[in-house]
Order: sequence, then C-alpha cells, then structure tokens
Amino acid sequence: MTAKGALMLSEKDNVATLLENVASGAEVLIRLGKGTSTVNARESIPFGFKIAVKAIARGATITKYGETIGSASCDIKQGEMVHIHNLEGGRGRGDLMKGGVR
Amino acid sequence: MNFTGYARPDGSAGIRNHVLVIPGGFLAAKICDFVDGTKTILTADTGSGRTSLDRETIARTLIGLGRNPNVASVIIHTLSPGVGYPELKPARLAEEIAKSGKRVEILDVAKEGSTFRALEKGVPLAREMVLEASRLRRQPFDLSHLAIGVKCGHSDTTSGIAGNPVIGNLFDRIVAAGGTAFFGETTEIIGAEHILCQRGINEEVSRKILEAAAKIEAAAKATGDDIRTVNPVPSNIAGGISSLEEKSLGAIHKSGSAPVQDVLKYGERPAGKGLYFVDNWMSMGSIFAGYAASGAQLVIFQLGGGGVVGNDLLHTSTAVIAPLLWTTANPKTLAMAPTSLDFYSGTVIEGKDTIEEAGGKLLQLVLDIASGTMTRVETLRHTDPTQIYLRDPSF
Repeated sequence: MTAKGALMLSEKDNVATLLENVASGAEVLIRLGKGTSTVNARESIPFGFKIAVKAIARGATITKYGETIGSASCDIKQGEMVHIHNLEGGRGRGDLMKGGVR
Repeated sequence: MNFTGYARPDGSAGIRNHVLVIPGGFLAAKICDFVDGTKTILTADTGSGRTSLDRETIARTLIGLGRNPNVASVIIHTLSPGVGYPELKPARLAEEIAKSGKRVEILDVAKEGSTFRALEKGVPLAREMVLEASRLRRQPFDLSHLAIGVKCGHSDTTSGIAGNPVIGNLFDRIVAAGGTAFFGETTEIIGAEHILCQRGINEEVSRKILEAAAKIEAAAKATGDDIRTVNPVPSNIAGGISSLEEKSLGAIHKSGSAPVQDVLKYGERPAGKGLYFVDNWMSMGSIFAGYAASGAQLVIFQLGGGGVVGNDLLHTSTAVIAPLLWTTANPKTLAMAPTSLDFYSGTVIEGKDTIEEAGGKLLQLVLDIASGTMTRVETLRHTDPTQIYLRDPSF
C-alpha cells in the first residue's frame, strides 16, 4: 500500500488532517514537524478531513493545533474519520441551555 | 517595499481614486450610472427605526468610507432614508468627512426643488469631480501608508493549515513595516480567545478580546440554537471542519503573530498603526465595508472552498471603494474558480513553498495591486450590497 499524507499540527493532537483522499485500509503517513508515523485508515476519508491517530474514548477531548476542538460523542478507534458524527463541539451551544429561551 | 498611490490631504495614500456618492439610493445610483469613476454604497440599512447605537454605526460607516484614502472626493445627497436623525444629517456627515481635507459637496434635493433637478445638477458636479481626481498622479509610498483587512470564508481544513497562516505572514510583514492590518469575525474566535487574548498590547486590550467573545457567545446561546447549525456554516462542515472551536483555532492564524493594538467597533478608525481586532460579523456582505470604513484600502478574502461546488464567479467587492483580493490554499478551489482567485497558497501544502515564502509572494502581489493592478473580481462592474453590522432590535 502506498503511504498517504496527513498532517498533525501538535504532538498533543489525537487527530491529523488528510492532505489526500485515502481509501479504507490504506496506510497513512502521519507527519508531525520533521517526524513521521503511520496509521491504517479504517474507512475511506476525503482530503481535508481528519483521521484519529489514536483511540479516543467517548467523552474524551479531541485535540488539534494542540487545543480542544470538541469531545468524542462515541468511542473512536484509531484510523477512523473524526467529524460531526463522532465529534461534539462544546461552545456557543444554545440548544444545551436549560429553561425556555426565545 | 513601496507602492505607488494617490496622495491625500491628510497624508494618507489612496490605492484607487474614486469619487464617492452617499448615502446611496436613487440619486446616487443614477449619478453613478452616468459618470465613470464614481462609486456608491448599496444598502437597505438606512437608520429608519434604528436605535442611536445603530444609527451611529451607519454614520460611522458612511463617514469612514468617505474618509478612506481610496476616495478622492465625496458627494452627499439629501432625501436619504432615515430622514432627520441627527447622526445621519448630511451636514454632519459632510463635516466629519471634510476633516480629512478632501472635497465634500452636498447635493440638496429640497434646495433644488426636485430629485430630477438635483440629478441634473449632480451629474455635471460628479463629472467635474472625477475630472479633478483624474489629474492626480501616483507617487511612491512606503508600507506604513497601507491598511488591509481580511476575512476567511467557506473555510475548510486547508484554511487553517496553509491559507490563513500565509495571510498571517503577510500581516506580520505589513505590521513590521509600520502598516496596519485588520482582522475580526468575533464568533470565529470562540474556542480560540484564550490564545488570542495573550496578544493584547496590555491587559485592557486582552480583556476587551475576551469580552467580545463572551458577549457574542452569550448572544448565541440566548437564541436556543445549536451553534453548529449556524456556524460552522454547512460549507465549512462539508470542507472537513467539525466544530466552531476547530474553525476558530484555524481562523486566528490569519492574524499572524503581532501584538493586538486594540479592539475596534465595526467601521471604527484606529488610533494608530499596527494589528487591530475588529468586533464584527463574518458575513462578506458586511465585513469588508466595515474594514474600508476603518481605513483599509485593500481587503482580502481567504477562501477555503472545499465545501463549495461549481462556483467560478466569487463575490465582487462589498468594500464599496476598496478592491477585493481572493486567496485560497485548496487546489480544488483554485481549479473551480481560476478567474476569481488572485493568489494560491496551496504550494505550502504541496511542499513547494514555506509559509514565509508564500507570504513574501503574496506581499509582492499586494504591492502590485496597491499600485494599480486590478484584482480579478475588480474587473467586473458590479458591487454586491452591503449589510451594515447593526446589533440592536429595530423598532
């Protein structure tokens, strides 16, 4: 399998951003600074979308740029795509406000 | 690192040389139809039934556009909607704009006795003012005379990785050379405000950054909406962005690394030079006119576009009198809209350029456009309408 490229922006990150489309089963080359590692994609993931570089438990923080971008809404396996189906943003959530508004 | 521009009486430098007709409406539109070299603002935000806060925002926008260095002279016509409010009286607008030393003429419909008689007077007046402006010649100015404003939009994950960091590098270069740069989009610092606030020049500015984010987040929560159904917008999500926090953390890269001098209101003019955060709204129909009112001669839209399909004609400028430059780091976006995009920073993702190299190339393009080369969308005779950023309920 050809190594595909994805970019990790901080060593704290548990996701990497794909710089190419990857097919399910592809070995993805993960770049972090000058270092590299590999993760097998568990599903096909398009350019620009995120891949979990490690397992992320339900409720755990999802980190990109070394900062919190949300939490896992279900268990995420290494190599799965991370997007709105399994990542929950926590900010500005009027729908989570208690009591009647508007 | 110089550009050539038009010297204005207040020491500023125009990169364009328009005659502006405001506040806009039938009279302004018809004068602009007849007379080349004129511009007007197209907006429904006239002040009618608006609070004093919002009327002052409209006035600040109109005055700021008039004072912008890209404007050689200004015609203010009466019979404007929002009639009679003190903030928007033509004499007040004229007085404020005239502080820049440029020529301001009032076209008074009541005095002429008819809109059409005012038009009969306004067309030759505008022709004469355009002719006068055309006698100016460009001369060299250094970067301390340049102010630019940026928004990132239809952001995707290429925006945070390459597109915005390259803009940030451009900002750093302009600020280091004594120039001015504006960024904003307050909703899109939510989740990144703890990083951005560390860059305030003092505690007060840092506090203002945090307050701006807290205020807009409280307003978002008060609606009861899930912010994810509002912002990130659907094209962001289709481009790979999963949450507002992720969008914000990518978005702040466009500000570079310079200290933030102050937090400005929409359309507010800065007290000095350097990097400013503007507490504004991300909509391109709103943000660019605000930057121009703050004094930006050039505005930049850094486009992600991964979630946009089949749109080769991107918006023309909504900055009214400031040209709009489009950049992207997404190769698919470049292939989609090559006749609208001016600069491609995807070379950073492809490993062909570093962020610094791409930023240096972008600066060269900015200097070229500041010196008179048109942006791609500037070649079209069309200006999208402006939505002035008003915050209060209407009554």
